[in-house]
Amino acid sequence: MKKHADTNSSHKKRKVRKEIYLIAFLFVLIFGVMIYSYVDFLNNGSKDFIYNKYNSRFSVFSDEIVRGNILTADGKTIATTGHDDEGNEIRLYPDERLFCHAVGYVGKGMAGLESQYSFDLLRSHSTLEEQINNSLTGTKSQGDSLVTTLDYETQKAAFSGMGLYDGAVIAIEPDTGKVVAMVSKPDYDPNTIDKYWDDMTGEDSTSSVLLNRATSAAYPPGSTFKIVTTIAYLRQHEGNPDYSFNCKGYFDVEDYRIHCSGNKAHGSEDLMAAFSNSCNSAYANIGVNLDRQKYVQTAEDLLMNGELPTKLSNVKSPKFSIDEDTEESIVAQTAIGQGQTSVSPIYMCMLVSAIANDGILMEPYIGDKIVNAENETVTEYKPTEYGRIMSQEETELLNSYMESVVMDGTAKKVDFGDLTVYGKTGTAEYTSDKSLTHSWFVGYAMNESGKKLAVAVIMEGAGYGSKYAAPLASKVFDSYFR
Amino acid sequence: MVNVVTSLSRITIMAFVMLFAIVDIVFLFDRKIKEGLQSILLTIQAVMIVLFMINGAVVLYLNTQDFLIILLTAGELLLYLFISIVLNKICIPTSKPLINNVLMLLSFSFITLERLKIASACRQFAFAIISLIIASAVVYFLENFGRVTEYATVYLVIGLLLLLIVSVAGSVQYGAKLSLSFGNISVQPSEFVKITFLFFMGAVIAKYRDVKGFLIASVGAALHVLILVISKDLGTGLIFLVAYVFLIFISYKNYIVLFTELGVAAVGATLAYNMFPHIQTRFIAWSDPLSVIDDQGYQISQSLFAIGTGGWIGSGLCNGMPTKIPVVTKDFIFAAISEEMGAIVGLCLIVIVLCTFFMIFNAAYDLNNSFYMLVINGIGIIFATQALLNIGGVIKFIPSTGVTLPFVSYGGSSLLSMFICIFIIEAAEDFSISIEKENRKREIRTRKKENRTRYEKTRRYE
Repeated sequence: MKKHADTNSSHKKRKVRKEIYLIAFLFVLIFGVMIYSYVDFLNNGSKDFIYNKYNSRFSVFSDEIVRGNILTADGKTIATTGHDDEGNEIRLYPDERLFCHAVGYVGKGMAGLESQYSFDLLRSHSTLEEQINNSLTGTKSQGDSLVTTLDYETQKAAFSGMGLYDGAVIAIEPDTGKVVAMVSKPDYDPNTIDKYWDDMTGEDSTSSVLLNRATSAAYPPGSTFKIVTTIAYLRQHEGNPDYSFNCKGYFDVEDYRIHCSGNKAHGSEDLMAAFSNSCNSAYANIGVNLDRQKYVQTAEDLLMNGELPTKLSNVKSPKFSIDEDTEESIVAQTAIGQGQTSVSPIYMCMLVSAIANDGILMEPYIGDKIVNAENETVTEYKPTEYGRIMSQEETELLNSYMESVVMDGTAKKVDFGDLTVYGKTGTAEYTSDKSLTHSWFVGYAMNESGKKLAVAVIMEGAGYGSKYAAPLASKVFDSYFR
Repeated sequence: MVNVVTSLSRITIMAFVMLFAIVDIVFLFDRKIKEGLQSILLTIQAVMIVLFMINGAVVLYLNTQDFLIILLTAGELLLYLFISIVLNKICIPTSKPLINNVLMLLSFSFITLERLKIASACRQFAFAIISLIIASAVVYFLENFGRVTEYATVYLVIGLLLLLIVSVAGSVQYGAKLSLSFGNISVQPSEFVKITFLFFMGAVIAKYRDVKGFLIASVGAALHVLILVISKDLGTGLIFLVAYVFLIFISYKNYIVLFTELGVAAVGATLAYNMFPHIQTRFIAWSDPLSVIDDQGYQISQSLFAIGTGGWIGSGLCNGMPTKIPVVTKDFIFAAISEEMGAIVGLCLIVIVLCTFFMIFNAAYDLNNSFYMLVINGIGIIFATQALLNIGGVIKFIPSTGVTLPFVSYGGSSLLSMFICIFIIEAAEDFSISIEKENRKREIRTRKKENRTRYEKTRRYE
């Protein structure tokens, strides 16, 4: 009898165990996911919070650490911490306006690299011995420095080349994604930003000097958008570039007339001629015959309407929208880069750099590495491949088209020296007044050793792309390859 | 000098806590450790606790020059000694590693509170002494109370009454009615209702092992949760719900019931979400705290600033700004620990909490008495759920629910309730024996009675 009771109870216990184990396992599972999310936050998510301007812990950092320097790739200091007449720490920018949008500022707020890498600049990886020494003597430790991918001379060429025009220049190494130059105008002097802060940000202020147009502006792409339309055409014709069109200098869609530049009749053209002449009539004709859904698909495959893959902050997404209800005349205008489409210069530069890199896009970045006060590398940021956004066949065709733009198309009069240049000009209308146009040039250059540089240039209200933007691109190439 | 000590102490404290957690894991993986080895491991843990406390006190004293910290730490270490002596006196402790874990969690609490607000630390120390006395009294009472399983109705009525009083007369905190105020002291009855609730569940299920028990338990649990929802104390309501669902699952082993209950709970949660704006607010604050940082997202953002800026190694005690976080001593104490002692210590703390949960489950494992088995499993489930809700809310894993971290958060009611729970676990073996004795006594009594009637019958027959 007793024996029976015993087996009974042990049987019961074994049965109980299974459910208890299940519950224990469930808790372990949830705790595990929680631990994962905790670790993931510390590794990836925390920077958004640390850099937030509401995080008052920054003030504690700067009590103990001197904010580190920012350097160009060739070792020039472009931001540093110094002292004013009363011995207070101040942030100094030796080149004043030259790097203002790329580097940003620290003052009443933070922007650019100063904001993005603030956490790293306010950390010190100097030797433990020195840290102990510093805390014993009460001196501040030197914060780590940020080495950027920017090239001093190229930046200077882009900056001075803009002259008095507003606009932007961005130059990227196609095979790495390194941003070599980034200029935006109008500009400001980050040394004195606190003094003029209220003028620049006040409610009455109409100036947008703080806006980094290279990444955050939305421009009509004008004829540079014919690159996208060309790819859409190729993708809807199985990659076959056969096309012929007889240009009379204009093209009628419904009751809307699209003119070629200067009303010039280009005559009989194939796709390459239409591209290199930047023939609006031919491209309007291509546009209205495209399958709209697939056209949008192509644009989105080329990263429009989504977040751009880049480590730069505040990047504006390129917008492209047509659908079945869009009027035909609007579709025709969209095909030549007018209409509702908007792009930032960095997007155009990424597009061209993918063409230059056999269709593979590298994510643009500007922070190259963090080094400590002894110039030893603390963190190095490696180039990141986003992936292929166009096929090899497409890039080969586009290369030949973009080369012909420079050899005998719209940019043939521009002197690019010994470099092989592939490009596309653009002249974008931005108001109803058709005489006011932005001047665009997007393209890349290659020297004898095969080194490449992609640029996008926009000069607001300047006029023809070939007259203003392309010569500036030439100066940028020249100083980079020299 | 102060800076160097503070800075280096981050590493030493991390080492102490880590070693403690590793020994915890050893305990888990080998439940049948030889006694000699076990006592060595227990000693290692005890040494780690003392070193942790002393190291924390030294850093805090150097930074604040407040001699009270030294006194408090001495008092706390003495208290630890008392706790283990008392437990060994009043019962044969079920699990010695569990005692160590509780002391470790208390150490986290004391050091962090001394850092955040010395007055709170003093009060918490006083609460701990009071808790020790009351918990011992409860154990003494239960040891001589073999008929504990017969009062299910009493537990239910006490629990519901306490919750009802809060619901009617409670003071509102952060949108929920949680506590009763008597002048200077405020009591959170729901902390104690956790115990009566588990006693109720255990008694009902142990008594009726059939559908009737299930129905009574379900109605009782539903009433508890309902009143808590009306008081808008949804975090506690959720804890009760989880305890109910799992206890029913352990007892009845019915997957259909389990999934039905989970389904009902999901529907209830959706309804609650739509009914209570303050839940929606918490969801918004959880999904994107920075977008509402001036408002609902302020607290969680501050918590994440603290954890993120502290990083893996931490800022060092007194070097961070944990006091920027609202309610940091209670709901958000984990953020303060993570900021100043570092996320590695934070991870170790999570591991210690998880091991504590396992030790509680293991304590129930060897029990023959089904009432105490259920109560202890319930304590384990409540402990783990509460820790999960608290830490998860602090690190933005789940929306914040406003529950405390057992033994670590500041608060007398929570501490006392958890003390009683742990003492019940440690003395459960003894309680089971007293119940068995009681049953045997009764058996003898009935047998005697039977004998007498039989005897009388035969007499009459003659």
